[in-house]
Amino acid sequence: MRTHRLSVVLGSSLIALGLVACGAGSGGSGGNGKSIQIWEGYTADEAKAFAHLVSEYEKQNPGQTVTSLYVDNDDSLTKVLTAVRGGSVPDIAYLYGSWAPNVAQIPQVVTLNSVVKQPSVNWNDFWVGERDVATVNGRVIGIPALVDNLAVVYNKTLFTQAGLQLPGPGWTWPQFVADAKKLTDTAKKQYGTAYVTPGNEDTVWHWEALLWEAGGKILSADNKKAAFDSAAGLRSLTTLASMAVTDHSMYLDPTDSAYANLFNSGKIGMLVTGPWDLSSFPSVDYGVQIMPSFPGSAGGHQTISGPDNWVIFNNGSARTAAAEKFLLWLTAPAQVTYFSLHTGDLPIRASVANATGFYQSMNKALPGVGTFINNLGNVRQARPQIPTYPKISTVLGNMVVSVLLGKSQPAAALASAAQQVNQILANPNP
Amino acid sequence: MAAPTAPVRRRRLSSAAAARARVARSEHFTGWAFVTPGVVIILLFGAVPVIWSAVMSFQQSNLLSPSTPYVGLRNYRAMVHDPVVAQAVGHTLVYTALFVPGTMIAGLFLAVAMNRKIRFISFYRTAAYATMAISTISEALVFIWLFDPSYGVVNYLFSLVGVPQQQFLNSPSEALYVIVVMTIWGWTGFAVVIYLAALQGIPQPLIDAAATDGATRWQTFRRVTLPLLSPASLFLAVWLTINALQLFDEVYLSTQGGPLNSTSVLVYYLYEQAFQNFNFGYASAIAYFLFLIILVVTAIQFRVGRRFTYYRS
Amino acid sequence: MSAQTHAGGRSRRRFRLPFSGWHLVLLPASLVLIFPFIWLIVTSVETPAEALHFPPILTPHVLRFANYPDALNAAPFGRFFINSAVVAVVTVLCNLVFCSLAGYAFARLRFLGRSALFVVIMTTLMVPFQVTMIPQFIITKWLGVHVLAGIGINHIGALIVPNAATAFGVFFLRQFFRTLPVEYEESARVDGANRLTVLWRIVLPLSLPALATLAALTFLDSWNNFLWPLIAIDSTSQMTLPLGLATFQSAHSTDWTLLMAGNVMSLIPMLIIFFGAQRYFIRSVAATGLAGT
Repeated sequence: MRTHRLSVVLGSSLIALGLVACGAGSGGSGGNGKSIQIWEGYTADEAKAFAHLVSEYEKQNPGQTVTSLYVDNDDSLTKVLTAVRGGSVPDIAYLYGSWAPNVAQIPQVVTLNSVVKQPSVNWNDFWVGERDVATVNGRVIGIPALVDNLAVVYNKTLFTQAGLQLPGPGWTWPQFVADAKKLTDTAKKQYGTAYVTPGNEDTVWHWEALLWEAGGKILSADNKKAAFDSAAGLRSLTTLASMAVTDHSMYLDPTDSAYANLFNSGKIGMLVTGPWDLSSFPSVDYGVQIMPSFPGSAGGHQTISGPDNWVIFNNGSARTAAAEKFLLWLTAPAQVTYFSLHTGDLPIRASVANATGFYQSMNKALPGVGTFINNLGNVRQARPQIPTYPKISTVLGNMVVSVLLGKSQPAAALASAAQQVNQILANPNP
Repeated sequence: MAAPTAPVRRRRLSSAAAARARVARSEHFTGWAFVTPGVVIILLFGAVPVIWSAVMSFQQSNLLSPSTPYVGLRNYRAMVHDPVVAQAVGHTLVYTALFVPGTMIAGLFLAVAMNRKIRFISFYRTAAYATMAISTISEALVFIWLFDPSYGVVNYLFSLVGVPQQQFLNSPSEALYVIVVMTIWGWTGFAVVIYLAALQGIPQPLIDAAATDGATRWQTFRRVTLPLLSPASLFLAVWLTINALQLFDEVYLSTQGGPLNSTSVLVYYLYEQAFQNFNFGYASAIAYFLFLIILVVTAIQFRVGRRFTYYRS
Repeated sequence: MSAQTHAGGRSRRRFRLPFSGWHLVLLPASLVLIFPFIWLIVTSVETPAEALHFPPILTPHVLRFANYPDALNAAPFGRFFINSAVVAVVTVLCNLVFCSLAGYAFARLRFLGRSALFVVIMTTLMVPFQVTMIPQFIITKWLGVHVLAGIGINHIGALIVPNAATAFGVFFLRQFFRTLPVEYEESARVDGANRLTVLWRIVLPLSLPALATLAALTFLDSWNNFLWPLIAIDSTSQMTLPLGLATFQSAHSTDWTLLMAGNVMSLIPMLIIFFGAQRYFIRSVAATGLAGT
């Protein structure tokens, strides 16, 4: 009896091992380009729209297969780096724009300057923020995959309840601060606004938008010295501190996930966030308005954008050509229109944004997204495209969090951060 | 060895010695034969990468370009001068010192409670094991909510008993302790499983004998049960410590090392260095420093354990 | 324990509950322990509108059981489940075999280099995976090209082989085997049994709780493993459950209801295993053979 059980166990293990051996082949380099592999992090609506586009492309190009693998965007760099070291890179990968200066150092990354200069591509149709992020030191290393920007999403019901005027496009940061204070109700555990405080780039870029509006810059023009330690830096930080520390009107979310659900539960009055959050607010009557500006500042109103790139890796000339062809088709106006309309993602091409009826259709499908589309024209500058930016981001993140937690005063925090940033810039490889 | 006596006795002794030698030789062979399959896998996928990483710690590597020049001890020297490393060491040690005893005590208490045949005991035990099955992200989300300063259950309970509201994950001085609680919850099931298996191995006659001798239940526990559990306790202490010193997932999913690096533990910091700052050589050096810490702590535990562990053989 | 067994026969008047007092401890403790599961299950049957709430709504007004079929249809979960199951089962079997052999050798056999080898094995536990995963990736890729395709990158064999024996399993069983009284093994050897027979016929039957524990823990580890499959698998058809569940979670938006439904479904096999394996965690006194001693 025992031997019978044993043989069952052994038998099933052998079958299992057999199944194991019948795995899919891996993507080695070389090949005739008939099959390309793409790593992307699309979920839900985006995944459906993307899958539709892929099958469209395969129908239009018989014999060509595009295999996609889901990789969470946050993890895609880790997976790409491992693949680079191990010699099995995909043909195309979706990579955050903030990684671009470092991704450019990967030898397998294909330079796309000649590809995007073709007139049919209409490179300048892509927003300037996207082109800036896809280009590192003049070398084009990616094709825009996504664009977004920051604006204010507010809870109309809470505004009306507090007797406040809804935000208009000309509003100012002092008004924002005052509104936040009036919207805060400790008894109801209601906050005027929220800020994400994990200390990473998410914390930083929200502040950078204010810095720019206050007329400041992150680094000097040659990217060699810190420039945020200025009157503009002080003004932007003090604005945030007044809400977090003085008025206690700002909910601090160190987890980067609670704030959206809180807003949807009607507990937060205003959020500075992007279009991706709009679908998370089914329970709120929300409105969208561009960010306020600082009165008397040369910065006026502007916003910050976080474009992402499709990056092509060299797996032989046939596959590279096939990848380029696919991406150029994917980012052509017709496909961009389809993708945006079916996902609510902002259009990566200006011509699509300005097309007749587009704004209306988008706003109908996802109320409020129209403001974000128009706001794309307000992206005037990008974050420094240098390899040491991640380290600078850590310093800036700690600076903002320590001010918001009340652990340091804005002026001192700025000075200390500037010192650290200058050290990093002077000595990039310690 | 033996004094020369009648030839018959000498022959028997030498054959005994020869038999011992035969056994010893075959022991070596058998020993190696037994360990080889497991050891090959463990060394190939464990030791080789460990050595590889050691080599990388002497290089400047950013995982991007293939050029990885040797830079000697530069990474290690940078580590000595990095204030965050010192902080991370402190946090890692504090975390470990709280987590390991906490989990062992909670696990032991629950295992003893569950080592009996009462109704619903299968449900209670499964509840304990199940905590190991839950994904770390779900665990993190629940605890983030429980400890939310404004909306969480813990602060609500505090308000009921008059304890002032705490900032928990928003507070650099409290965030690490929240993670301690979160991970004790996550690992108690493991401790229960280990202790339960060990408790099963304690023969009831021994317990009964102690009771007949007039010992109270607590005395029996202290003087019979605990010593017999000592191998399991040593195992748990070593394994929990090795894991605690390498804490990563919960920090990654909740505080990301914040606020203000207060929950930055060594593995999280080296992950940041490797995959966010592209400083893989430096990350490898930090990993080796951590390795030394773990090695020393584990060796001490085994040393101390040898004195207090009782094996029934 | 009744009063009569106490020496001297002191009979104290004790307040007797209609049930064992331990329930007063175990029930609250269990509720604390399973609380996250309650949250998980409740969220998995909520509508998105109620799921996107903070603090979470634990008493939803609208239940949506369709989350479960929706989750199953969102990605080829049947395939993911099979992959995860095959990987887990084979990994467990390999571990039981290899770690028993090695653990027994470290516990009982005196062979040259035993202590040094044990230390080396333990050291493999002391370097975090974030650092060793890239060398492991390269080794696995090399094996796939030069030894057997089925264990290389992008095959589920690559998820099995690196974990087919772990230092944890060896360490765990070594500790356990050392607690067994050596008399049984000695008497069997005097009777002429070789080491393998002693292991198979004497030691392992006595070690069922430990083996069951190791099996359950190894299964759990394998089932929930995320980082290694993430970097080793390049095709959807080879993905395991954790990777599949990740498809509900993107950097900016998470499909909470589907994710929780997927999580609950992923938990069920493990709960079944734990519940079923409980029988082996408990050893009857008779099986220990110590009743007579």
